[in-house]
Amino acid sequence: MAKQYAFYFDSNLCTGCKACQIACKDKWDLDVGVTWRRVAEFGDGEWAVHNDGTYTQNISSYYVSVACNHCSSPECLPNCPTEAITKNEDGVVMIDESRCIGCRYCEWACPYSAPQFDAKRGVMTKCNFCYETVSQGGVPSCVAACPTRALKFGELEELQALYGTVSEVAPLPSASYTNPSLVITPHRNSAPVGTGELANPEEV
Amino acid sequence: MFSEWPLIVFTIVMQLAVGSFVILGGIHFFAARRYGSKEADKLSDYALLAIGPAVALGIILSLLHLGNPMNAPYAIAHFGTSWLSREIILSLAFSGIGAVFALLQWRKIGSSTLRNALALIGAAVGLVLVYAISMVYQIATVPAWNTPLTTVSFFITAFLLGSLAIGAALVINYWNLRRKSADQGNTQYTMLATTLKWIALISVVLLGMQFIVIPLYLAALATNPTNAASDSLDVLFSEYGLLFVLRLVLIFLGAGVFAVFLYRMASSNGSVRVLGNLAVIAFTLVLVSEVLGRFLFYASMVRVGI
Amino acid sequence: MNENAFLNDLVTDSVMSRRSFMKWSAALGGTAALVTSGFEFAEAVARDVPIAADNVVWSCCTVNCGSRCPLRYFVKDGAIIRVETDNTGDDTFGMHQVRACLRGRAIRQRIYNPDRIKYPMKRVGKRGEGKFERITWEEAWDTIANKLRDVIDQYGNEAVYVHYASGPAGTTITRAFFRRLMNCLGGFLDYYGTYSTAQIQDAMPYTYGSNVATNSIEDMANTKLVVYFGANPCETRMSGGGMNFSVQKFKRQGDARLIVIDPRYTDTAVTVADEWIPIRPGTDAALVNGLAYVMITENLQDQEFLDTYCIGFDREHMPEGYENEDSYKDYILGTGADQTPKTPQWAAEITGIPAAKIVQLAREIALTKPCYIAQGWGPQRHANGEQSVRAIAMLPILTGNVGIQGGGTGARDNSFKISVAAFPTLTNPVQTSISFYTWPEAITHPTEMTATTHGVRGKERLEVPIKFLWNYAGNALINQHSAVNETRAILEDDSLCEMIVVIENHMTASALFADILLPDTTNFEKMDIAPNGDTSNMGYAIFTEAAIEPLFETRHIYDMCQEIAKRLGVEEAFTEGRTVEDWLRYVVEQTRENNPNFPEFEAFRDMGIYKVTNPGSPSIALKSFRDDPVANPLPTPSGLIEIFSPRLHEKSQTWELPEGDVISALPMYTPTWDGLEDPNRERYPLQMITHHYKQRTHSSYGNVEWLKEAAPQELWINPIDASARGIEHGDYVYVFNDRGRTRVPAKVTNRIMPGVTSLPQGAWYTPDANGVDQNGSANILTLYRPSPLAKGNPQHTNLVQVEKA
Repeated sequence: MAKQYAFYFDSNLCTGCKACQIACKDKWDLDVGVTWRRVAEFGDGEWAVHNDGTYTQNISSYYVSVACNHCSSPECLPNCPTEAITKNEDGVVMIDESRCIGCRYCEWACPYSAPQFDAKRGVMTKCNFCYETVSQGGVPSCVAACPTRALKFGELEELQALYGTVSEVAPLPSASYTNPSLVITPHRNSAPVGTGELANPEEV
Repeated sequence: MFSEWPLIVFTIVMQLAVGSFVILGGIHFFAARRYGSKEADKLSDYALLAIGPAVALGIILSLLHLGNPMNAPYAIAHFGTSWLSREIILSLAFSGIGAVFALLQWRKIGSSTLRNALALIGAAVGLVLVYAISMVYQIATVPAWNTPLTTVSFFITAFLLGSLAIGAALVINYWNLRRKSADQGNTQYTMLATTLKWIALISVVLLGMQFIVIPLYLAALATNPTNAASDSLDVLFSEYGLLFVLRLVLIFLGAGVFAVFLYRMASSNGSVRVLGNLAVIAFTLVLVSEVLGRFLFYASMVRVGI
Repeated sequence: MNENAFLNDLVTDSVMSRRSFMKWSAALGGTAALVTSGFEFAEAVARDVPIAADNVVWSCCTVNCGSRCPLRYFVKDGAIIRVETDNTGDDTFGMHQVRACLRGRAIRQRIYNPDRIKYPMKRVGKRGEGKFERITWEEAWDTIANKLRDVIDQYGNEAVYVHYASGPAGTTITRAFFRRLMNCLGGFLDYYGTYSTAQIQDAMPYTYGSNVATNSIEDMANTKLVVYFGANPCETRMSGGGMNFSVQKFKRQGDARLIVIDPRYTDTAVTVADEWIPIRPGTDAALVNGLAYVMITENLQDQEFLDTYCIGFDREHMPEGYENEDSYKDYILGTGADQTPKTPQWAAEITGIPAAKIVQLAREIALTKPCYIAQGWGPQRHANGEQSVRAIAMLPILTGNVGIQGGGTGARDNSFKISVAAFPTLTNPVQTSISFYTWPEAITHPTEMTATTHGVRGKERLEVPIKFLWNYAGNALINQHSAVNETRAILEDDSLCEMIVVIENHMTASALFADILLPDTTNFEKMDIAPNGDTSNMGYAIFTEAAIEPLFETRHIYDMCQEIAKRLGVEEAFTEGRTVEDWLRYVVEQTRENNPNFPEFEAFRDMGIYKVTNPGSPSIALKSFRDDPVANPLPTPSGLIEIFSPRLHEKSQTWELPEGDVISALPMYTPTWDGLEDPNRERYPLQMITHHYKQRTHSSYGNVEWLKEAAPQELWINPIDASARGIEHGDYVYVFNDRGRTRVPAKVTNRIMPGVTSLPQGAWYTPDANGVDQNGSANILTLYRPSPLAKGNPQHTNLVQVEKA
């Protein structure tokens, strides 16, 4: 089988700092509103108020940093009307902006919000795995940026051999939609898909 | 901010156009069999010509939805897998065939067999187009859309709007004919009244279907396990609850109450003025309801995941 | 248009005109301008290729976060087109990469920012109004020099104040030039303390003799239980070389349980806490009292440690002459003056922590050996902060964890650092200093400020008002100081302080109050040396190169000081004939005298970052004292840990305090204004703290769009309080009290306890015509009231109300 690049993310280490997001924006000159890597905040639990003015709670919260997962069954690709979206020989899903009509159909289809509309140019844009850099032995910008070393990258099978095969956790969608090339070490408080809430919808 | 107005207009216009084309074809077919093609042409030609500009408007507006319309030609490239590509190709095909047919029909070029064949092909392409439009929205990640009920309701929209539009157009056409020459004879009026009765019947039946589809749809959404589905329900019931009720009321009035009136007036040889008012009001009410419905359709779009 | 042309174009623009603003906006994101003129994907791919090393310049982010991160600038045609961070070595711990946080990564939008000040300007409208007129550098220097001479002649050097500012906190020489200039001119009124640490640095020495740290964070691997009081390294020390990284590593290396005690479920709690105990702000001392009550009544305290190393725990160990005063045990058990036993239920009602939890926590802390207890700087930034500082330190004292591996002092953590020689600022001939926080009073009524009312040092009473104020690279003139509206009124009156000189990169809220406003080069246009931030076991220094030529008419701060020195006849004394680079060479030479391993100037410049792993073992605070208290006494009067401080007892008798303020010899829980017990709570029922937020370091980076998008300013509010006010997540709300009002979106989150809100500090004060802030600037709500002992800033002590906007 051909190579499939993938990201690895250890949710236990993530402080939600978004250095990954900004490093990516700086490298690719992304405007506000175009964010190739985003950090979702998960929230769950509730408070109980007692008669003596004290409280108890069972709050949990954690972060999940996510870019394009260069999925095995990318929803964006078959739906794109222009063939602007392709999956290359190393499994990297790319958008050819010179073909894109900006219909934003891929944005509807992708459950990770990976395709991001660049309003200035009227085209969709997306994480390209820093493919050129990686091809030359370099590291994707987000991975090199992570202050807590929560992000890694590599070939999917190798990452799976090292870290297991978990590729879904709340507040991400079920992996069944797109079969993402993503390996996650879930947070110690991790909750299954569909539980809790996305606590920072305005940020992702 | 809501930004899907071009899509609302495009999808409704295309569905209306297909619905009108098919209904009009049917009317023409039956009318011609009974009264001869000349009378039938007189009944329907102007209505046919009204469809053209609507389709052109729809297609042009759809371009407004694009971030980069300069690349629009690429949009037909991926017909192998992309329903959006197919929708675009079918839209172009339908409007192309429709335009050629209209031209031939208007100028009476070619044999009527040829024209009828063309009309049949156009109608078939149109029906596939409505299907394609509905498939564009059946993406796995949007529970509010990803149901065969989307297809059913798009066809209901097509025939409901199409039939009522044709009803209104025929009355206006007859009005025009009579203004030019007071004596139109009984044939035209009889054809009109019969047609309107059928249109009223069709719309009541479609309304009934709609009132089956909507509860089914809501039930499906309510039992869908994803957060996205419940968020969509929230949009329909909380955020836009009033609009949702308004849409139901309007469609009930238009396709139900006014259609029944139309039927009764057409049965009892009502005046053209009354028939015209009823047909136009019924169409307008349903059109507004369908626009609201389509607005809610897009507004309730909540994707799974983040 | 390439970036260079764009930048040249800007220089011809008028100051802050709409047009230039638009152009800046267009340029932000660097190639945004390129994008619209045919930037295709093929070119984007070209940007993906690693750029050759000779285009890369080492610099760093110098803002005042406590971390310190190198940045490598990719420079093309004189413009910085991309930023990367430390990539040296194989990232093994101890020589690990010091990876910049999101702010450093966003620095291009700080350099090429529409708020950049481009020319020297003088005020033409009312002070604070923000109306300025462009002037020449000559006029600026002449005006400043003349006014400085006049003020010194008329009022003396104590009328000149160099205000607290921390924009270039990470630099070695840049931050220090003004002190040298003023010292050449006969001195200036100095300050003590900082907005960050006033209460802890003042209070801790009464207990331990000095402002001790606790054990190094590496020691977390050796402990069984970590208790963090308001310590939040994952948010306040975000560098990938700093405590954020270290605490995660060492927490996981050992098997300790970690408890975070904080009103917020912080990112530290998210990342490393095994348990979160939410506590009402300002009540840490009450919790400690409750814990101490359980320990003492269940006899869980380390009595041998208390008897050997401490004074004041019980009647048998009171300092000489104070035998009739309450001991700590008296205070806790209620056998002293207040006759109130500090039972768990007593503490529960104050702290909001259930009594059963307090009992359980007390047993856990007392019975788990060793136990590492540390506090951040949040608990101390309160009206009763000095009390909380010393109270928290009581836990390791009661349990005998001081001076042992896996234990600690209850203070903040410690790091290994390499020392870089200081820039010689010379000696200030003026001995007088005031608390950094009290400068507005030194403007309005200096002669009422005495040693016992305001903690004036070096003099019994201030004699002259501040008439000339230097504000270099800081925003504490208004934005970061308390009580924005009150401060604004003082600053607006230019008959009080007659000259305010602000030297800045950006048009900050403070810059608006300048009489003379000078455009400084950013530290990306300056050469300097940035010594290490906190990392735990690795020391380092960064050589910061001037990456680009100064933009517009900006000038190096050294040039400005030199020109003023020249006009006042002290140029030679100021420069000693040295350029900036000469001074840096001098600093490196001085550093190498103490530490011959430190690289020579050119070698250092080439390597960019110089790292050293701690050659010794991780620091254990007060270990020598623990090992032999007789041979190694603490620098307290008794040489022991002073639970009862005779020095504080004296101050409690002699200092003149406003009604309600308390200084006490024992660490006590003292209710305060705007606290839980304040009757104002009827009208303003919610407590408000002002946490440090990833969008900004204080106010630095507060004008960077990428960061505002990534971490929008928002008020944290619990769903219980939000729903009671009809507020939903994302709604705009007004936060207000008698002091002011601000508008901000609400983050409705379970991550803050009910009854408490938090408005991240540092957002830029942006008033509308009615004075209502539009940007969630916290200090419009804070009160100017110096804390009792340190005379520090109580910026987490606030009562507010919130309503839907």
